[in-house]
Amino acid sequence: MAVDDSGSSPPGGGQPISEAEALDRLRQTADQSLQYYAAWWLGRMRSRHPEAVPLLCAALRQRQPRDPGAGVEHNAVARNAARALGKLGDPAVVPDLLAALEDEDDGLREAAARALGELRAEQAVAPLTARLRSGPAGAGAPQARSPRLQEPCEALIEALGDIGIASPEVLAVIHPFLDHDRPLIRSAAARALLQLTAERRWGERLLELLEHPQLQVRRAALMDLGAVGWRPALKPIRATLAENSLKLIALRGLVEDGQGDPGEEALLQAMDELL
Amino acid sequence: MTIATPQPSPETDRLIAAVEGADSAAGLLTASAALARHLAGSQVPAPAAITSLVQVLGFNNPGAAVAAVDGLIACGEAAVEPLLANLDAHNYGARAWAVRALAGIGDVRGLELLEQALASDIGPSVRRAAARGLGQLRCGALPQDGRLRVRGRALEALEAGGEDGEWVVRYAVVVGLEGLGLDLADPQLGAMAPETALLARVRQALNRHQDGDDTVPVVRLRARQALGRLNAIATREAMEPQ
Repeated sequence: MAVDDSGSSPPGGGQPISEAEALDRLRQTADQSLQYYAAWWLGRMRSRHPEAVPLLCAALRQRQPRDPGAGVEHNAVARNAARALGKLGDPAVVPDLLAALEDEDDGLREAAARALGELRAEQAVAPLTARLRSGPAGAGAPQARSPRLQEPCEALIEALGDIGIASPEVLAVIHPFLDHDRPLIRSAAARALLQLTAERRWGERLLELLEHPQLQVRRAALMDLGAVGWRPALKPIRATLAENSLKLIALRGLVEDGQGDPGEEALLQAMDELL
Repeated sequence: MTIATPQPSPETDRLIAAVEGADSAAGLLTASAALARHLAGSQVPAPAAITSLVQVLGFNNPGAAVAAVDGLIACGEAAVEPLLANLDAHNYGARAWAVRALAGIGDVRGLELLEQALASDIGPSVRRAAARGLGQLRCGALPQDGRLRVRGRALEALEAGGEDGEWVVRYAVVVGLEGLGLDLADPQLGAMAPETALLARVRQALNRHQDGDDTVPVVRLRARQALGRLNAIATREAMEPQ
């Protein structure tokens, strides 16, 4: 999993605002940077306001070209709306997100896939699998003049792991990505297979990536081990060269989502030592 | 009492020169780590070596800074004055590393800096280190009123830190509260002792994290563990023969 801090810091900065203010900002459409911040805010604060979901669904349908001057990404408002909908946990929005998963903007498809994964949307398994079926040479091939791949493979694979349907078809689609050129994609595939099958060998793939020479790869493996909560990773997590902040996030995952040995006592002690 | 003075040593001078002469990030990391190891192993750390490690904190090299912080913590009290004297308000990174070093050393002279850091530093990793440090200040050598003052201030800072928006800072606050609580739990003290009142506030604060107030399961779990440890001391004391 790529490391991003979108969960904790507001995009483009901004002052603390109230829920009412966030809803107002999302409702207007004249200033998209206000909408962008408002969508992020509603997700971050896990808003329970009845208007939050309908407004975010409307924002999800908004399209706009990239505006380099404003430092805003392509379809910025729609992407942030998708991310927020993933956090709010309302299954009624799944059809809207499935529509976004068919959008021509791969950045929006990525945000929609992640949200569908967070919502454990079983209806998304078929379209997610379909997008990956062409394998590393198709879906996983680089786009011309861009660092991005044809499909947002990492997000699609991770969503399949999060949703948790371990059908032979899903496993067969993920498997070839274990040999993708890019270590971050390999990490996502190992993570998803570990989630789906609980087989030790996939955890061990992640441990290998935890020793990768690139910090960015070790960070991704840390986040993936934390997302699965695979407790046998405790020792290697302590030993890898990366920031304590990320190790703490990973260990939190082992405590909250894992089971078995090592137990909570040992995990909490390791966390204490990293503070 | 005779005070041991650090002897000039060619080995120390050579290691300091290596830090000062490092011309790459990797070279600085290696040299800092070597000097830190040397300091950690020496009986009386040489002031020039401590100063050199304090300077490394300001070089914007996280790997070297981590090694320097470890070395400074190993030096203990001898590193406190140089750290406080070299605080640079304009170098955020250097300040953040100094907070970490002082948190690890646990000297009461660092109290004010730790309070400020937990209350208002923009970096969660710095607030986290400060919270942990506030729970492990060593004040055994102070007279009782001084001890109470330090622990009272640390407790106040930790109570406020319990409202932090970052879960990892609240986790560190819980660990800090546990440390403070274990220091305060003294079998000799009666119900009217001021320490007993502080300990009651520590429990109250931990209870708030244990209950549904904290939305993050691992913070609740750690608070439950801390309360269990404090209760174990109380039970053991009650069972001891008078």
